Amino acid sequence: MSGTATYLYAITRPIPPKAVAGMRGVGGAEVRVIDHQEIACLVSTVDLSDFGEQALAAHLEDLNWLARTAREHDEVIRAAARITTTMPLRMATVCLDDAAAQARVETVAESAAAVLPELDDRDEWGVKMFAVGSSADAEQPPEEPATGTAYLLQRRRQLERRDTELETAAGAADAAFARLAEVAVASRHHRPQDQRLSGVPHPMVLNAAFLVDRDAEGTFRAVVAELAAGRPPQALVLTGPWPPYSFVPGEQP
Amino acid sequence: MTAVSRRATEPQAASLVDLLDRLLGVGVVLAGDVTISLAGVDLVTVHLRALVTSVREAEG
Repeated sequence: MSGTATYLYAITRPIPPKAVAGMRGVGGAEVRVIDHQEIACLVSTVDLSDFGEQALAAHLEDLNWLARTAREHDEVIRAAARITTTMPLRMATVCLDDAAAQARVETVAESAAAVLPELDDRDEWGVKMFAVGSSADAEQPPEEPATGTAYLLQRRRQLERRDTELETAAGAADAAFARLAEVAVASRHHRPQDQRLSGVPHPMVLNAAFLVDRDAEGTFRAVVAELAAGRPPQALVLTGPWPPYSFVPGEQP
Repeated sequence: MTAVSRRATEPQAASLVDLLDRLLGVGVVLAGDVTISLAGVDLVTVHLRALVTSVREAEG
């Protein structure tokens, strides 16, 4: 397939075209602004040889491509978020051309105009909790069991201990989530990451996102610090500020 | 304190896994194969082994 298409990054409050001068998007293409009344949409031109339906499906299985595209997408959205309130669109939202993109923006204008005020002057923060020091970390038996029965007993005790610890960790994660949610405008869970992906040698028990007023960032950080106090250094990880990826409605253009 | 960092404010510093959690919506997190869906349409299933390798390479 040949030809080009229009890639949509985000719906924002109005942005003057000169504010995006020099901004580069997916594949290094120039970022442009499509306006519609009180909203704007950041777009760039992409090749259908990359973003046609079949090409896209093939590319998504190429994790190097996925990683690069995710970074390029993210950079535009972060740049937009530094300029004004930004509602990120799903990665790889593509229209046939600018006219189709314009029509899409007009279709969602009303709902976007309702969402943007929810995002004004707010950032997303990520909090991950790990069950550091649980026996799930390293499963070496303390001593060589003498018999098969002794081994089985020891193994059962080990698994029981691990279950109890994970239960305790899950309870602590729930409590931490509730405490953080109190100082956030909105909050939601992501699924805990697999240990092999997180790169942390402890089970992840909480992977949450919080939408926080910029004015309340200090308060939010103080609660994070309070929760981190008395825990091992790796047990609680704060990331952010993020664009409000986790707080845009599921229904998107 | 290392636990409370601002790493994600620096370009490229956000962990790729954390980013994909957010961009792909479904999370890249299951202890098995991962189905990537965009706009609610399941597109491809990525095998976790390939994903782990790629994420490590991309971060390294």
